[in-house]
Amino acid sequence: MSTWRRWAVKLAQHASSALPGVHSPWAEAMRREIDYIADDAAALRWAIGCVLASYRTRLMQWFNPRTSRRQVAASSALILLLAVALYDSAGGQTEPPRPAPDETICDPVASPELRQDRGGLHRPTDAAHRTCRSDRPDPLNPKK
Amino acid sequence: MPRKPNNSRQTRALLAAFLERSRTWRHGYDLSKETGLRSGTLYPLLMRLSEQGLLEPRWQEPERPGLPPRHVYRLTTAGLALAREQELEAVAAERAGVLA
Repeated sequence: MSTWRRWAVKLAQHASSALPGVHSPWAEAMRREIDYIADDAAALRWAIGCVLASYRTRLMQWFNPRTSRRQVAASSALILLLAVALYDSAGGQTEPPRPAPDETICDPVASPELRQDRGGLHRPTDAAHRTCRSDRPDPLNPKK
Repeated sequence: MPRKPNNSRQTRALLAAFLERSRTWRHGYDLSKETGLRSGTLYPLLMRLSEQGLLEPRWQEPERPGLPPRHVYRLTTAGLALAREQELEAVAAERAGVLA
């Protein structure tokens, strides 16, 4: 079997596999016709045409108004389902509240820990809080 | 104005080829050689005509052993009527062209 003939057979097989369903007897018919073509170059040309015919038929099937209406309906239903699922899984989830340092009591200038992390989100520990409190004069009891 | 179905040059050529030997079962390669249509054009046409009930396909046992069965085609009564109608139209158009 020549290289051209081998390619022709491969292409015809591809054309046959690209055209499943109700058109499969036609794909098989195109493929079998290769065996009756004596000239290898003609067989290859025939096989290329078979591939084009398969693709063309598939495209026509895709753009068939009856089929496309069904496909559009199915795609819309799927998108709607995905949207509802995403909304459900994302619903109720909000950004967690940012912890804010209690600056009414603790002065960041006085607290070394807060002074270091002034730009970021930092919640002073209880220990730092206590230190901070003890450093500052109690506004209600300035003598302490 | 809506386009008349099965009125393309390729379809007319194919129907004319079938009409020439209306009782004979024809195969794809034979039709391709006679009409000059390549397989990529011929088979979608054959499929469409078959879906419209204008063409009758069947599998034919091979004449020589070792070869696979072959798909052959013939026009149905409706297909023959359409082919004859198109032939008459073509003849009429030709006459009109000559007279003009």
